[in-house]
Amino acid sequence: MSEKNTRSDEHGHDEGHHDVPYFKIYVALIILFLISVAGPEVGEATGLRWITLITAFGIALVKARLVINNFMHLKWEKRLMKWMLTASLIMLGIMMAGVAPDVMNHEGNNWVNLAAQAAVERGLEDDHGEESEVVTVVEAQPVGFSAEASFGMICATCHGAGGLGDGVAGAALDPSPANFTDPVFWETRDRDRVLIAIRDGGVAVGASALMAPWGALYDEEQLGQMADYVMNFRPNQ
Amino acid sequence: MGHGRPIATTRSATGIPTARLAIWWVLASEIVIFGGLLSVYLMHRLGHPEWAAAAAHTQTWVGALNTFVLLTSSFTAVLAHQAAEKGDGKKAAKLLGFTILGACTFLVIKSFEWANEISHGYTITANTFWSFYYTAAGLHALHVIAGAIIMGYVAIDAYRGRELHRVEIIGIYWHFVDVVWIFLFPLLYIAK
Repeated sequence: MSEKNTRSDEHGHDEGHHDVPYFKIYVALIILFLISVAGPEVGEATGLRWITLITAFGIALVKARLVINNFMHLKWEKRLMKWMLTASLIMLGIMMAGVAPDVMNHEGNNWVNLAAQAAVERGLEDDHGEESEVVTVVEAQPVGFSAEASFGMICATCHGAGGLGDGVAGAALDPSPANFTDPVFWETRDRDRVLIAIRDGGVAVGASALMAPWGALYDEEQLGQMADYVMNFRPNQ
Repeated sequence: MGHGRPIATTRSATGIPTARLAIWWVLASEIVIFGGLLSVYLMHRLGHPEWAAAAAHTQTWVGALNTFVLLTSSFTAVLAHQAAEKGDGKKAAKLLGFTILGACTFLVIKSFEWANEISHGYTITANTFWSFYYTAAGLHALHVIAGAIIMGYVAIDAYRGRELHRVEIIGIYWHFVDVVWIFLFPLLYIAK
């Protein structure tokens, strides 16, 4: 490539001119740009999708490099500057590595992203048949509620998946979380009281303040279903 | 008030002129801003095969035209820098003028493109693909607008032969805006 003719041996060369063949760089950029536009056509004609990916993103990297080195003159900047920018890229990499597993997967060992799964399903269904000219405006769908899933996600952290009061987060609490399978517990409880405790928190029923109120998260019917779910732990008398 | 230049523009502990050090700091933070947005878009795109149907509606030739416009405006910006280095403020101002013209052309094309898409129902709330489309391209367009305005000030000064070093600084910023578009183009228009 033509930019090899330029002086690249001068490190930390601050002021003065860089004899960069700007016009040649510009022509190279335009040629690369034309290839990247033609890429999908070639990819489609040959049925090789990787051609499109290379012409799209591979060429973007080459173009960016040409601009950064020759137009922004990063090639001639002090090493400090390059490290500064590298630090930014490393931060970006850490962020990506951190969120990629959550964003790209729609389910894991202990969780399911119902909204994302539903979006994929709806979207792929829309894709079948004739393509409509006007995009169907997808309203936010209420995510399917399940008392069991909610208990597993929220209550089980302290009360345990089996309602034994042995959840991971509950181990350190004083008083310790209620054991729903204990007959003694049920001597002073009924469904109404359980419902109030779930909705308004432990304080509302004169129990531990460590039991948080969840009323803001669920509507009355869902709270009822959750109370029923808790009632299932009650041992037969 | 004392005469002369403020200390900040003359002092340089790093050996790099303060203004240039500052613009690189700006760009280092921009890397995280645009990089974060684009990488999250990419992750969603890979996790949502159905986005391909939405992405198929972006108009490749419009994006291509804008890519050509921005590449060319970057070329005139670097030529302006070259002229400023030789002390030719008038030529630098004229070339910056061409770059501003490129910025305006870019924005006019973009506004026709968006008006067309919005009139077909592809709005920012249509689905998450379009949300990303308008957010990423919109944030980029804001940078184009800001760059064009600042370039106007720099060009006026340069025309009078003042503050010629600023031509390089606004140029570095402008090339970065170009680089962001270089990545936006394949992400939003080519990979379908």
